[in-house]
Amino acid sequence: MNKPSGVNAFMPYIERPRFSCALGGALSTLNSLPGVVPVIHASAGCGGNVFASQQAGSAYYGAGYCGGLAVPSSNVSENEIVFGGEDRLREQIANTLDVVEGQLYVVITGCMTEIIGDDTTGIARGFRNQGKPVLAVDTGGFKGNSYRGYDLVLERLFSEQVQKANEKAPDVINLWGAVPGQDPFFRGDLAELKRLLGLLGMKANTFFSYDETLENLNQAGSSVGNIVISRTYGVEAARTFEQVHQTPFIAVDIPIGPAATAEFLRKAADFAGINASVVEKIIADEQRDYYRYIERIADVYADLDLQHYGVVVGNASYSYSITRFLAEDLGWLPELVVITDCLGETHKEELKVHFGEIKYIKTPKVVFETDSSEIQKHLAEHWPLFSEKRYFHSFSPAFVFGSALERDLAAAIGAKHLTVSFPASNRAVLNRGYAGFKGGLHLIEDILDVLVAGR
Amino acid sequence: MGYIDEKVVPKREERLKACNAFGGKACQLIEGSRGGCLVNKNRSFSQTCNCQMGLALAMVLTIPEAVTIMHGPIGCGSSSHNMDSYFRPGQSIRGGKPKALLWVSTNLEEQDIIGGGESKLEEAIIKADQNHRPAAIIVVSSCAPGIIGDDIDELTSRLQKRISARIIPIHCEGFKTKISATAYDAVYHGIARSLELELKSEAPGGLVSNGLDQVKKEYIKSKTVNVLNVFSMGRTDELEIERLLKALGLEVNFYPNFAHPDKFRFLIEAALNISVCPTHDDYFVEILKERYGIPYVLNNMPIGIRNTEDWLLDIAKELNLESEAKTLIEKEKKELEVELELYRSILKGKRVLVSGGEIRVAVTAMLLQELGCEVVGIRAYHYDQFGDDIYLKAVSGNPDLEINVATTQVFELVNMLKKVKPDLFVGHSGSNVWAAKLGIPALPLFSQPQNYVGYRGVFEVAKRAARIIKNTAFQRTFSENVTLPFKEDWYGKSPFTYITEK
Repeated sequence: MNKPSGVNAFMPYIERPRFSCALGGALSTLNSLPGVVPVIHASAGCGGNVFASQQAGSAYYGAGYCGGLAVPSSNVSENEIVFGGEDRLREQIANTLDVVEGQLYVVITGCMTEIIGDDTTGIARGFRNQGKPVLAVDTGGFKGNSYRGYDLVLERLFSEQVQKANEKAPDVINLWGAVPGQDPFFRGDLAELKRLLGLLGMKANTFFSYDETLENLNQAGSSVGNIVISRTYGVEAARTFEQVHQTPFIAVDIPIGPAATAEFLRKAADFAGINASVVEKIIADEQRDYYRYIERIADVYADLDLQHYGVVVGNASYSYSITRFLAEDLGWLPELVVITDCLGETHKEELKVHFGEIKYIKTPKVVFETDSSEIQKHLAEHWPLFSEKRYFHSFSPAFVFGSALERDLAAAIGAKHLTVSFPASNRAVLNRGYAGFKGGLHLIEDILDVLVAGR
Repeated sequence: MGYIDEKVVPKREERLKACNAFGGKACQLIEGSRGGCLVNKNRSFSQTCNCQMGLALAMVLTIPEAVTIMHGPIGCGSSSHNMDSYFRPGQSIRGGKPKALLWVSTNLEEQDIIGGGESKLEEAIIKADQNHRPAAIIVVSSCAPGIIGDDIDELTSRLQKRISARIIPIHCEGFKTKISATAYDAVYHGIARSLELELKSEAPGGLVSNGLDQVKKEYIKSKTVNVLNVFSMGRTDELEIERLLKALGLEVNFYPNFAHPDKFRFLIEAALNISVCPTHDDYFVEILKERYGIPYVLNNMPIGIRNTEDWLLDIAKELNLESEAKTLIEKEKKELEVELELYRSILKGKRVLVSGGEIRVAVTAMLLQELGCEVVGIRAYHYDQFGDDIYLKAVSGNPDLEINVATTQVFELVNMLKKVKPDLFVGHSGSNVWAAKLGIPALPLFSQPQNYVGYRGVFEVAKRAARIIKNTAFQRTFSENVTLPFKEDWYGKSPFTYITEK
């Protein structure tokens, strides 16, 4: 299988890429883990640049405990590039241990220090041998994009930080796959799925939740299984986990709304060996609550005929889940899905087949496009957008789910717009998520906010 | 100077003996600067900050009708997502149609690091030209192509023959300088080498057809000035600058931010180049003086009462408008004084720490002193000779004032804040949250929609500062509920413990 989150070979032109580099993804990931302090071994601007990208990209997901401009960084310059940066890194790590409070320090590299061949891993090992909690991951930007950085960091943590467990705890499960700094809703999504798994009687480690500590990661080897809520990101890390800890995994979609979430819970229960009747009771309870809310909004929904055609633009995980929710729960008509990642051909085909499994609609046109300016062309090829004719089968009413960049597309085709993907510079996201039953309600709420805003 | 004939400008450590690491008294800083002995300072512990590429992008991403190509691995320049929300309103407030910011990455990957990135850049330039038909294609070169030896100058000059857009190569490899302000030189260097800065001679019988026209043209030129704008000042500030200079009978053109690539051909139709920030423009105004004989003023920033006055008088002196300027200044000051009374009573004695760009922090400190605040510390992103006179003014009467030269370096900032406990922090973006974590409210050092410059700027800053300290519940409760990442014993040490001599 192709490296799912790797950037394709020879892609010389990516317009307004919706991710940063492997270092950027690694940094967002580490800065989101409790007790973890990243140490950048790179030029001075790398950390600042990728943080600015995360700010606007991920709905103002700010510095946190030791992120932003507080991240320790060796800030190598000409001198180190010529003479080597290893001494500078040793000095930086030693002083980081003196100044910054952390339980685990993870060195991540930028392009320059990798090009000059600094032995970062060896230096980290030196500290570890002295009993210092230091790890290193090679995350040079040329290795791939943010999603790749997420996988690289998780792989290293799973193989070197997660302790080997002699016994598996039957009620513990690990769940990951929503990428910090890329998925604006990753916190809310993880919280909701953790809640739902809790109802099944499972303790879920997500590693990033605010009620967890580094211990949840350290002890993750005792889990009976791993659930990756993406078919694309975090899957490589799950394979590593399986190799090292013999823990099986399933890769599923982020479930949004009742249809997908019910399926998710059934799969999770089956995976963990939980009695089907337990699951059905929980689904029924959650569904009851969900539809009591829907019952109240249904009046305006029906009176105003709020069904729309849809365009969905975003990464591989979220685009699918939004599309499915529109089709299977909301009864909308998604026509075009644009996946803005750089993916291998095999994985593209797999995803296309998967879109064909969405019920109740004709399978939408799925394109893989990294250049925002090209999206309107794909839509126009699929559905003629303009005509002088009085009687014209127009693409209307239409609603674009995408990033802040899709405001231009929506304006051009006279559609409504909601930002659900990176860059999400026109939204501020805290604990909001779209996953699960509660997430489905949030998404409907946000859609209707757009539709009734002018009233 | 001769730099203009080189592909790459020298770094400011060399050209200006600029430094980015110092902690101590103001008088020691100025003495060290004049003795040229600041430049060797380093840090044995540091935190991430920015690089010259980031600052270069802040300038070039304002140029309308352009596509910027980030020549580097995929992450370089991904900060530009932050710039879209600056670029759109920036165009519309200047009367243009707000268009999306366009930028492209050449996405250098592992095999390109080995094999070179020129072919990807070539393809990207051609595609950008075909897809968007821009007026300019700006090629911003990051660290990796700098070290693998891509010759972007040779490539772009070869491609220029078949590309309709003007190609502007800009060398801003982050690792090459610790002084990110080198970016300003790098951008101006690219502009001066690639854009037309003069209207090529008109054909016989062209625009200037008779003597009267010639006199008219010369007269207009004598009353026209260029103001070199900066990223950290928005249109609101430009309007205040324009208001004051118009009062002296001058027409104002703004370059380079938000100036169309074709507009630069009119750059030399001016009697004077005016800098609003000495550390921003010295390289460019010198080129324009050498090439076209246009004089310049470069001493000051028009922030605060005294510095606005000094800045205006500098300009007036060059253009023989001193008496007009004095009249204007008196009238402006009189009007302002009355309005400041209310805020002075609120701000009197409030202790402030200012942190950010070299010149901006010094003039802002003076402004706050003019409002009755007590400045308890100044932190500058970098320091060079352009600071000497202004810092002397800013600390007159208090030569022992603590100064920290640091490109952000949150750990030094937090240590200082813990010790001096100011009532208000005035900081560069990216640093204000760290004051908030200590319960200290922040007035952003710059914010483009807001006014900071000129006499109106003094009033607006006073008004905002007074508002901000009215209710600091957010900062107080926030500080009670977050943990700072530094060990407790760090606060017992000098904030400058990790500054070394190397």
